[in-house]
Amino acid sequence: MTQKTPFEPFTMWKDMYEKTEKAWHDVIQDTLGKESFSEGLGQIQYSYLQYHELVNNLTEAYFKQANIPTRDEIANVASLVINLEGKIDNMDDQLYENSETMNKDINQLKRTVSNLDKKFDKVLEALATLEKKIQTGDAMVVTETANIQPEAKSATQSTQVKPATDTKK
Amino acid sequence: MNVGTKELEDWINHLQGDSKNSFNRFKRLTEVITTEPEPQVGQTPKEVIWTKNKTKLYRYQPAMKKTNKVPILMIYALINKPYILDLYPGNSLIEHLTNQGHDVYLLDWGTAGYEDRNMKLDDYILDYIPRAVKKVLQTSGAKEISLLGYCMGGTMTAIFTALHPQLPIRNLILMTSPIDFEDAGHYSNWLDKRYFHLDKLVDTLGNVPFEMIDYGNKLLSPISNVYGPYISLADRVDNENFVLNWKLMQKWLNDGIPFPGESYRQWIGEFYQENKLIRDELYIRGHKVELSNIKANLLNISASRDNIVLPQQIEPLNDKVSSKNKTLHRVDTGHVSVVAGRKAINEIHPFIENWLREASV
Repeated sequence: MTQKTPFEPFTMWKDMYEKTEKAWHDVIQDTLGKESFSEGLGQIQYSYLQYHELVNNLTEAYFKQANIPTRDEIANVASLVINLEGKIDNMDDQLYENSETMNKDINQLKRTVSNLDKKFDKVLEALATLEKKIQTGDAMVVTETANIQPEAKSATQSTQVKPATDTKK
Repeated sequence: MNVGTKELEDWINHLQGDSKNSFNRFKRLTEVITTEPEPQVGQTPKEVIWTKNKTKLYRYQPAMKKTNKVPILMIYALINKPYILDLYPGNSLIEHLTNQGHDVYLLDWGTAGYEDRNMKLDDYILDYIPRAVKKVLQTSGAKEISLLGYCMGGTMTAIFTALHPQLPIRNLILMTSPIDFEDAGHYSNWLDKRYFHLDKLVDTLGNVPFEMIDYGNKLLSPISNVYGPYISLADRVDNENFVLNWKLMQKWLNDGIPFPGESYRQWIGEFYQENKLIRDELYIRGHKVELSNIKANLLNISASRDNIVLPQQIEPLNDKVSSKNKTLHRVDTGHVSVVAGRKAINEIHPFIENWLREASV
C-alpha cells in the first residue's frame, strides 16, 4: 500500500500507530499493572488535592471577607429547595395512596346513601298509603254520617271524639 | 480569505489522483473534528412522568400500542448520560423495544450539582428507585415490572431487587454490571487503599469531576483510547455511516457528568476496595443486602472485550441469586458496544427483546 504513492500521510499515520501500539502495548500494560505505578498515581493525586484544597480555602476565606456567598452557602439554599420538593413529592405520593382508599370509602358511602334513599322511598310510600287510607276512612265516615238518623249522629260523634280524648290522656 | 481558499481548492483540483484524494480526506477529517455539528441523540419520543431533584422518569412512545403487559424500567449509572440507550434512530435499544410493543421507562439521574455531593447510593436505591417503580406501575396499570440496569446502574438495580423481594419484579436484566470486585483489572491496583486518597478526594472536591473518571478509563489502554478513534476516523472518513457512528460515540464519551461525592466514596470504598456486595457484607441504610433474595427471572450480560467491567466481575451473580430462570449471556463486544453499534443492533437488542417476551408470558 505504502509503495503506491511517494507520500500518503494517512496510511503512514495509521502504520505508525499500529506499529507503536503493537510494540508498546505489553510494556504499557505491564507498567500500568505495577504497584509502583499505583503509588506514583496516588502521589500525583495527593499533590493535586493538596493544591485544590489550598485554592478552596483561599477562595472561601476571600469570599467571606468580601461578603460574597460561598459555594457551600449557595449549595445550602439549593438543598433547602430540594428538600422542599422532596416533601411535596411525598405529599403527592401520600395523596395518591389515600385517593384509592378514599375512592373505596366514597363508593361505600354512595351505596349506603342509595340504600337509605330506597328505604326512605318505602317509608314515604307507606305514609302516602296510610294517608290515603285515613282520607278514605274520613270520607267513609262522612258518607256514613250523612246517612244516619240525627239521634244516632250525635251518638256517633261522641263515639268518634272519645278515642281522641283518650289519646290526649 | 474566500478568494484564497478558492485558489487553493483550484490548485488542489489540478493535483494528481492520490494527492488530491489525500487532501480531500484531510479536509473532511478537519470538518468532522472541528466544524460539523454534533448529531442529535435521544430522538425516540418520550414524556416525563415524574421528577425529583435532578432525576427524571421518562416514558417512551406513549402513543404507541403496548402489546407486552410487563413494563420495563431502565436504570442508568451515575457515570455518563443515559442517552446511550437511545443513541440514534436505528441504533437505539429503547427504540427497538418500544417498536416491538414494550412499554419502556427510563430513570435518568440528571447532572449532579455541588448541592448533591451528600447523596449516597442509599438515597438513590431506597428513595428514588422505589418511587420510580411505583410510578411505572401506576402509569402502566401493570401488576409486574421488568428492570434493566446498565453498568453501575445494573449493580444498583440488583441491590434494589435484593432489598425488595416483596415487589412484583418479574424480570431483571443486567448489562455489563459489576457485582464481584475481587479482580477489577488495573482498577484493583489503582484504587488500592494504600495509595488512593479516597476520603481526601471526596472531602476536597465534593463531587468527583467527569474528567477524572474519564482519565481513569482512558488510562486502561492509553494509546488505543486516545489516538485509536482518530486513526479509525482518518482511515474511514469517506464512509458517511462510519463518520456518523464515530461522532455519536465521541459525543457520548465526552459528555460526562460529575459523580456525587458520597456515592463515589461508597462505590470505591465498599465495592472496589472492600468487595462487600458479593460477600453479603453490604448494608444500605442499615439493611443487609443479600443477593440470594433475588428471585426474578435474570438475564445477565457480560462482554468479553470489556476492559472497564471485566467478565469475572459480572458472572458470579448467577450463582448467588435464587432465580429459577437465570441466563448468563456472553457477547463479543466492549463495554459500550454491548448497547450501541452494529453488533448490538443486529444481535443483542433482538436477544434482549426475545428473552423479555418469553420471560413475561
